[in-house]
Amino acid sequence: MSLLDSEAGKRRLLSVEIPVIERYNDGRDPAFQIRMSRLGGTLVLRYCLKPGHNIYQLETRLVSSYPTVPPETRVLTALKHCPHLLEGQTLCLWRQGSTRASSRWDPARFTCIFAVQAAWRWLACYEIWHETGEWPLPEAK
Amino acid sequence: MAHLIQVGAGSGGMPVLDMLCRDPRITRVTLIEPDVYKPHNVERHLFPLSAVGESKAVLARNWMLERRSDLVVELLPWDLCDPAQQNAINKAVASCDIGVCAADNEPAKFHWDALMRRHGKPWTLGEVLSGGIGGFVHWFVPGGPCYGCVASYLKRSVTVDKPPAPDYSQPGGPVQETTIPASKASIQTIASLHALLTLGLMDNPAEYSPGFTSMLLTLQCVAEVFEEAFRPYRFRVPRAADCLICQARPTPSSVEELDVALDQALARLGDA
Repeated sequence: MSLLDSEAGKRRLLSVEIPVIERYNDGRDPAFQIRMSRLGGTLVLRYCLKPGHNIYQLETRLVSSYPTVPPETRVLTALKHCPHLLEGQTLCLWRQGSTRASSRWDPARFTCIFAVQAAWRWLACYEIWHETGEWPLPEAK
Repeated sequence: MAHLIQVGAGSGGMPVLDMLCRDPRITRVTLIEPDVYKPHNVERHLFPLSAVGESKAVLARNWMLERRSDLVVELLPWDLCDPAQQNAINKAVASCDIGVCAADNEPAKFHWDALMRRHGKPWTLGEVLSGGIGGFVHWFVPGGPCYGCVASYLKRSVTVDKPPAPDYSQPGGPVQETTIPASKASIQTIASLHALLTLGLMDNPAEYSPGFTSMLLTLQCVAEVFEEAFRPYRFRVPRAADCLICQARPTPSSVEELDVALDQALARLGDA
């Protein structure tokens, strides 16, 4: 299924992803709403999160093979080098076979908003790590 | 007089195809397979070393016709997910009686599932676990659980393998594949189950009931994974009421209306 090129992909967007994004945006401060744009065959979600006292700009990409392949989220705001951070400030959120259910991407149950919530959780961990030097969530295996 | 359509004629798909094409009820085969036969395929494949460099689809056709000269074989030497080939693939699926998925990657399995559901066709899937420690066979019918329902259910409830996993969170980077190869014997065992399941389903898709949706057969005893070898696990997977893959949700009916609605939605949510 190709997200922006196939009928199935477009139906997934219109019936699942876009409604949950609109529900997420509904009543939210415009500065924290999700904005979407196309980038070739990829759909890019841009938004801000404030897990504690700091505001972070993020970008979540729904690549053409989404939702089979999980969304890719990176933080645009400069971060200190920390655990669970990949090249290009991409967040390490998903791992096939992980012992933690919420770390195993499931296209039949998760939407892009789950990825936004996962990014919020990651940033909350980052804020604690920044102050204490310890990542508060135990390693998933 | 059945028309079989199969995606994949790799080391797992070819033995399934070999067993199925010998059944006289199957009179027509459509094979979707874009790859070329490579040296590293030889150890686990039916074709000889001398065939390296040739199209797997052509080799498969020759193999089948050498055993069944009456068989009608159509080759679609393309990537299943190639947008440019979807019209031809849809046409082939629409005319088939049963489908077999022997693809080795998740996007292809989900794409196949969508094709089969769109055209209301029954289909089967075989999966050999890395290292050949066991394997799954699954069957699907219109109105039943989709591949998303099954994969989601099995992810939640079953621990089947703990190999190093592909890291999908690294955009643009190499996606690591699990590289512990399965033995030819393991592949052949799961392929035989896959072929039996397919023939049973082909017989009577409306009433087929082997007592499971998915079956896992362990082939080896592996510490902390499988307690014993040669043990079957049967899973009856229901269709998930909240499945985001197969549960119908209201969307415009025509493709043109769909494009307009999507453009409007993206404009609404676009950068101001």
